[in-house]
Amino acid sequence: MSGPGEPPVPAAELVRAIDQGAIDRYAEVSGDRNPLHIDPAFAARTQFGGTVAHGMLLLAYVSEALALACGRPWLERGRMRARFRAPARPGDTVRVRVTARGQTAWQVEVVDQRGQLLVTAEAEVPPAPA
Amino acid sequence: MPALPSLDRLPRGHRFAPATYDLSHDWVDAYLAAVRDATTPSLAPETVPPVAVLALAVRALLEQAHLPEGSLHLSQELSCHRAARRGERVTAEATIVSRGERAGWLLLGIELAVRDAQGGPVVSGRATLGVPAGGGGP
Repeated sequence: MSGPGEPPVPAAELVRAIDQGAIDRYAEVSGDRNPLHIDPAFAARTQFGGTVAHGMLLLAYVSEALALACGRPWLERGRMRARFRAPARPGDTVRVRVTARGQTAWQVEVVDQRGQLLVTAEAEVPPAPA
Repeated sequence: MPALPSLDRLPRGHRFAPATYDLSHDWVDAYLAAVRDATTPSLAPETVPPVAVLALAVRALLEQAHLPEGSLHLSQELSCHRAARRGERVTAEATIVSRGERAGWLLLGIELAVRDAQGGPVVSGRATLGVPAGGGGP
Protein backbone atom coordinates (compact mmCIF):
# COMPACT_ATOMS: atom_id res chain seq x y z
CA MET A 1 0.00 0.00 0.00
CA SER A 2 1.45 3.37 -0.93
CA GLY A 3 0.86 6.61 0.92
CA PRO A 4 -0.45 9.92 -0.44
CA GLY A 5 1.85 11.34 -3.09
CA GLU A 6 3.82 8.15 -3.39
CA PRO A 7 3.84 6.15 -6.60
CA PRO A 8 1.53 3.13 -6.48
CA VAL A 9 3.15 -0.12 -5.45
CA PRO A 10 3.31 -2.46 -8.45
CA ALA A 11 1.12 -5.54 -8.27
CA ALA A 12 3.72 -7.30 -10.39
CA GLU A 13 7.10 -6.45 -11.82
CA LEU A 14 9.18 -8.26 -14.38
CA VAL A 15 12.70 -7.49 -15.62
CA ARG A 16 14.02 -8.81 -18.91
CA ALA A 17 17.41 -8.26 -20.54
CA ILE A 18 17.19 -7.97 -24.30
CA ASP A 19 20.00 -9.08 -26.55
CA GLN A 20 20.14 -9.95 -30.22
CA GLY A 21 19.84 -13.64 -29.36
CA ALA A 22 16.51 -13.03 -27.63
CA ILE A 23 15.25 -11.08 -30.64
CA ASP A 24 16.45 -13.78 -33.06
CA ARG A 25 14.74 -16.52 -31.04
CA TYR A 26 11.50 -14.57 -31.05
CA ALA A 27 11.80 -14.01 -34.83
CA GLU A 28 12.26 -17.73 -35.35
CA VAL A 29 9.33 -18.86 -33.23
CA SER A 30 6.93 -16.12 -34.37
CA GLY A 31 7.85 -16.20 -38.05
CA ASP A 32 8.39 -12.42 -38.03
CA ARG A 33 11.77 -12.18 -39.74
CA ASN A 34 11.57 -8.52 -40.66
CA PRO A 35 15.22 -7.49 -41.22
CA LEU A 36 14.68 -4.50 -38.94
CA HIS A 37 14.74 -7.01 -36.11
CA ILE A 38 17.34 -9.54 -37.19
CA ASP A 39 19.71 -7.97 -39.75
CA PRO A 40 22.09 -5.50 -38.06
CA ALA A 41 23.51 -4.26 -41.39
CA PHE A 42 20.05 -3.57 -42.78
CA ALA A 43 18.79 -2.05 -39.55
CA ALA A 44 21.81 0.26 -39.34
CA ARG A 45 20.53 2.02 -42.47
CA THR A 46 17.05 2.65 -41.04
CA GLN A 47 15.83 5.50 -38.85
CA PHE A 48 16.56 3.31 -35.82
CA GLY A 49 20.28 2.94 -36.57
CA GLY A 50 20.24 -0.70 -35.46
CA THR A 51 18.02 -3.64 -34.74
CA VAL A 52 15.03 -3.28 -32.43
CA ALA A 53 12.95 -5.84 -30.58
CA HIS A 54 9.57 -6.88 -31.94
CA GLY A 55 6.69 -5.05 -30.32
CA MET A 56 5.05 -8.44 -29.83
CA LEU A 57 8.06 -9.60 -27.82
CA LEU A 58 7.53 -6.71 -25.42
CA LEU A 59 3.83 -7.61 -25.29
CA ALA A 60 4.79 -11.16 -24.34
CA TYR A 61 6.58 -9.68 -21.31
CA VAL A 62 3.53 -7.54 -20.56
CA SER A 63 1.29 -10.60 -20.77
CA GLU A 64 3.49 -12.55 -18.38
CA ALA A 65 3.49 -9.65 -15.92
CA LEU A 66 -0.32 -9.52 -16.11
CA ALA A 67 -0.45 -13.26 -15.49
CA LEU A 68 1.71 -12.67 -12.39
CA ALA A 69 -0.66 -9.93 -11.21
CA CYS A 70 -4.01 -11.49 -12.12
CA GLY A 71 -3.34 -15.22 -12.32
CA ARG A 72 -5.31 -17.57 -14.57
CA PRO A 73 -8.17 -15.10 -15.23
CA TRP A 74 -5.76 -13.07 -17.39
CA LEU A 75 -5.12 -16.10 -19.56
CA GLU A 76 -8.84 -16.88 -19.82
CA ARG A 77 -10.55 -13.51 -20.35
CA GLY A 78 -8.03 -10.67 -20.22
CA ARG A 79 -8.19 -7.64 -22.48
CA MET A 80 -5.44 -5.17 -23.24
CA ARG A 81 -4.88 -2.00 -25.22
CA ALA A 82 -1.17 -1.25 -25.67
CA ARG A 83 0.70 1.60 -27.29
CA PHE A 84 4.30 1.28 -28.47
CA ARG A 85 6.09 4.52 -27.68
CA ALA A 86 9.76 3.73 -28.28
CA PRO A 87 11.71 0.67 -29.38
CA ALA A 88 13.74 -1.66 -27.19
CA ARG A 89 17.20 -2.45 -28.50
CA PRO A 90 19.80 -5.15 -27.90
CA GLY A 91 21.59 -4.30 -24.67
CA ASP A 92 18.49 -2.83 -23.05
CA THR A 93 17.05 -4.10 -19.80
CA VAL A 94 13.33 -3.57 -19.68
CA ARG A 95 11.18 -3.42 -16.58
CA VAL A 96 7.45 -4.17 -16.79
CA ARG A 97 5.34 -2.72 -13.99
CA VAL A 98 1.69 -3.61 -13.44
CA THR A 99 -0.35 -1.47 -11.05
CA ALA A 100 -3.97 -1.94 -10.05
CA ARG A 101 -6.57 0.60 -11.16
CA GLY A 102 -9.58 -0.62 -9.25
CA GLN A 103 -10.91 -4.15 -8.92
CA THR A 104 -10.60 -5.29 -12.52
CA ALA A 105 -8.38 -2.77 -14.32
CA TRP A 106 -4.61 -2.58 -14.55
CA GLN A 107 -2.10 -0.08 -15.82
CA VAL A 108 1.12 -1.39 -17.37
CA GLU A 109 4.31 0.46 -18.16
CA VAL A 110 7.45 -0.88 -19.80
CA VAL A 111 10.56 1.24 -19.28
CA ASP A 112 14.18 0.72 -20.21
CA GLN A 113 17.21 1.05 -17.97
CA ARG A 114 17.24 4.82 -18.52
CA GLY A 115 13.62 5.12 -17.47
CA GLN A 116 12.45 5.78 -21.02
CA LEU A 117 8.86 4.73 -21.52
CA LEU A 118 8.65 2.05 -24.22
CA VAL A 119 5.11 0.68 -23.90
CA THR A 120 2.01 1.74 -22.02
CA ALA A 121 -1.03 -0.49 -21.71
CA GLU A 122 -4.39 -0.62 -20.03
CA ALA A 123 -5.64 -4.06 -19.19
CA GLU A 124 -8.89 -5.41 -17.85
CA VAL A 125 -9.81 -8.78 -16.45
CA PRO A 126 -13.61 -8.90 -16.25
CA PRO A 127 -15.22 -10.94 -13.46
CA ALA A 128 -16.01 -14.54 -14.34
CA PRO A 129 -19.47 -14.90 -15.88
CA ALA A 130 -22.03 -16.10 -13.35
CA MET B 1 7.18 -18.22 -55.49
CA PRO B 2 5.48 -14.94 -56.48
CA ALA B 3 6.52 -11.74 -54.71
CA LEU B 4 4.25 -10.78 -51.85
CA PRO B 5 2.11 -7.66 -52.28
CA SER B 6 3.23 -4.69 -50.25
CA LEU B 7 0.97 -4.04 -47.29
CA ASP B 8 0.60 -0.36 -48.18
CA ARG B 9 -0.84 -1.29 -51.60
CA LEU B 10 -3.71 -3.31 -50.20
CA PRO B 11 -7.13 -1.64 -49.91
CA ARG B 12 -9.34 -1.20 -46.89
CA GLY B 13 -11.47 -4.30 -46.65
CA HIS B 14 -8.72 -6.62 -47.85
CA ARG B 15 -9.06 -9.98 -46.11
CA PHE B 16 -6.00 -12.15 -45.86
CA ALA B 17 -6.56 -15.83 -46.45
CA PRO B 18 -7.20 -17.73 -43.21
CA ALA B 19 -4.14 -19.64 -42.02
CA THR B 20 -4.31 -22.73 -39.83
CA TYR B 21 -1.75 -23.48 -37.14
CA ASP B 22 -1.30 -26.24 -34.62
CA LEU B 23 -0.52 -25.11 -31.08
CA SER B 24 1.82 -28.05 -30.78
CA HIS B 25 3.65 -28.79 -27.57
CA ASP B 26 6.94 -28.21 -29.37
CA TRP B 27 5.88 -24.81 -30.71
CA VAL B 28 4.43 -23.68 -27.37
CA ASP B 29 7.58 -24.80 -25.53
CA ALA B 30 9.74 -22.96 -28.07
CA TYR B 31 7.60 -19.84 -27.71
CA LEU B 32 7.74 -19.90 -23.91
CA ALA B 33 11.51 -20.38 -24.05
CA ALA B 34 11.92 -17.53 -26.55
CA VAL B 35 10.00 -15.08 -24.37
CA ARG B 36 11.32 -16.64 -21.12
CA ASP B 37 7.80 -17.04 -19.75
CA ALA B 38 7.91 -19.34 -16.71
CA THR B 39 4.71 -17.91 -15.24
CA THR B 40 2.12 -19.25 -17.68
CA PRO B 41 3.22 -22.90 -17.43
CA SER B 42 3.32 -22.67 -13.64
CA LEU B 43 -0.20 -21.18 -13.47
CA ALA B 44 -1.82 -23.24 -16.19
CA PRO B 45 0.45 -25.86 -17.80
CA GLU B 46 -1.95 -26.65 -20.67
CA THR B 47 -2.64 -23.02 -21.54
CA VAL B 48 -1.03 -21.05 -24.35
CA PRO B 49 -0.40 -17.35 -23.59
CA PRO B 50 -2.93 -15.15 -25.41
CA VAL B 51 -0.18 -12.99 -26.90
CA ALA B 52 1.36 -16.13 -28.42
CA VAL B 53 -1.96 -16.94 -30.06
CA LEU B 54 -2.33 -13.40 -31.37
CA ALA B 55 1.21 -13.58 -32.76
CA LEU B 56 -0.07 -16.29 -35.10
CA ALA B 57 -2.51 -13.83 -36.65
CA VAL B 58 0.38 -11.41 -37.18
CA ARG B 59 2.28 -14.31 -38.73
CA ALA B 60 -0.61 -15.05 -41.11
CA LEU B 61 -0.48 -11.44 -42.26
CA LEU B 62 3.30 -11.41 -42.72
CA GLU B 63 3.12 -14.64 -44.75
CA GLN B 64 0.85 -12.88 -47.24
CA ALA B 65 2.13 -9.32 -47.46
CA HIS B 66 5.45 -7.55 -47.48
CA LEU B 67 5.94 -4.98 -44.73
CA PRO B 68 7.49 -1.87 -46.31
CA GLU B 69 10.80 -0.66 -44.91
CA GLY B 70 10.34 1.73 -42.01
CA SER B 71 6.98 0.31 -40.94
CA LEU B 72 6.14 0.66 -37.27
CA HIS B 73 3.84 -1.29 -34.98
CA LEU B 74 2.13 1.60 -33.23
CA SER B 75 -0.48 -0.05 -31.06
CA GLN B 76 -2.06 -3.38 -30.31
CA GLU B 77 -5.34 -4.41 -28.76
CA LEU B 78 -6.03 -7.92 -27.53
CA SER B 79 -9.15 -9.65 -26.23
CA CYS B 80 -8.97 -13.15 -24.87
CA HIS B 81 -12.26 -15.01 -25.34
CA ARG B 82 -11.07 -18.20 -23.72
CA ALA B 83 -7.79 -19.85 -22.81
CA ALA B 84 -6.09 -21.51 -25.76
CA ARG B 85 -4.92 -25.03 -25.05
CA ARG B 86 -1.83 -26.89 -26.11
CA GLY B 87 -2.46 -29.31 -28.91
CA GLU B 88 -5.44 -27.55 -30.44
CA ARG B 89 -5.69 -26.35 -34.02
CA VAL B 90 -6.56 -22.71 -34.62
CA THR B 91 -7.25 -20.55 -37.65
CA ALA B 92 -5.90 -17.00 -37.86
CA GLU B 93 -7.51 -14.26 -39.92
CA ALA B 94 -6.55 -10.67 -40.64
CA THR B 95 -8.50 -7.88 -42.36
CA ILE B 96 -7.50 -4.33 -43.19
CA VAL B 97 -10.28 -2.30 -41.61
CA SER B 98 -8.93 1.24 -41.91
CA ARG B 99 -6.48 3.22 -44.00
CA GLY B 100 -5.63 6.84 -43.47
CA GLU B 101 -2.75 9.25 -43.92
CA ARG B 102 -1.37 11.53 -41.25
CA ALA B 103 1.84 13.54 -41.15
CA GLY B 104 3.56 11.55 -43.87
CA TRP B 105 2.46 8.19 -42.54
CA LEU B 106 -0.06 5.73 -43.85
CA LEU B 107 -1.91 4.35 -40.84
CA LEU B 108 -3.39 0.90 -41.27
CA GLY B 109 -5.85 -0.65 -38.84
CA ILE B 110 -5.86 -4.43 -39.04
CA GLU B 111 -8.36 -6.65 -37.27
CA LEU B 112 -6.90 -9.95 -36.15
CA ALA B 113 -8.91 -12.97 -35.09
CA VAL B 114 -7.97 -16.47 -34.06
CA ARG B 115 -10.70 -19.12 -33.95
CA ASP B 116 -10.81 -22.71 -32.80
CA ALA B 117 -11.67 -25.74 -34.90
CA GLN B 118 -15.40 -25.14 -34.28
CA GLY B 119 -15.14 -21.51 -35.37
CA GLY B 120 -15.39 -20.15 -31.85
CA PRO B 121 -13.32 -17.07 -30.99
CA VAL B 122 -10.16 -17.66 -28.98
CA VAL B 123 -8.27 -14.37 -29.23
CA SER B 124 -8.96 -11.24 -31.24
CA GLY B 125 -7.38 -7.84 -31.50
CA ARG B 126 -6.54 -4.88 -33.62
CA ALA B 127 -3.10 -3.76 -34.73
CA THR B 128 -2.28 -0.26 -35.90
CA LEU B 129 0.70 -0.08 -38.22
CA GLY B 130 2.40 3.03 -39.53
CA VAL B 131 3.98 2.86 -42.97
CA PRO B 132 6.02 5.77 -44.36
CA ALA B 133 3.84 7.31 -47.06
CA GLY B 134 5.85 7.64 -50.25
CA GLY B 135 9.06 6.86 -48.42
CA GLY B 136 8.52 9.76 -46.03
CA GLY B 137 8.00 9.78 -42.30
CA PRO B 138 7.24 12.12 -39.44
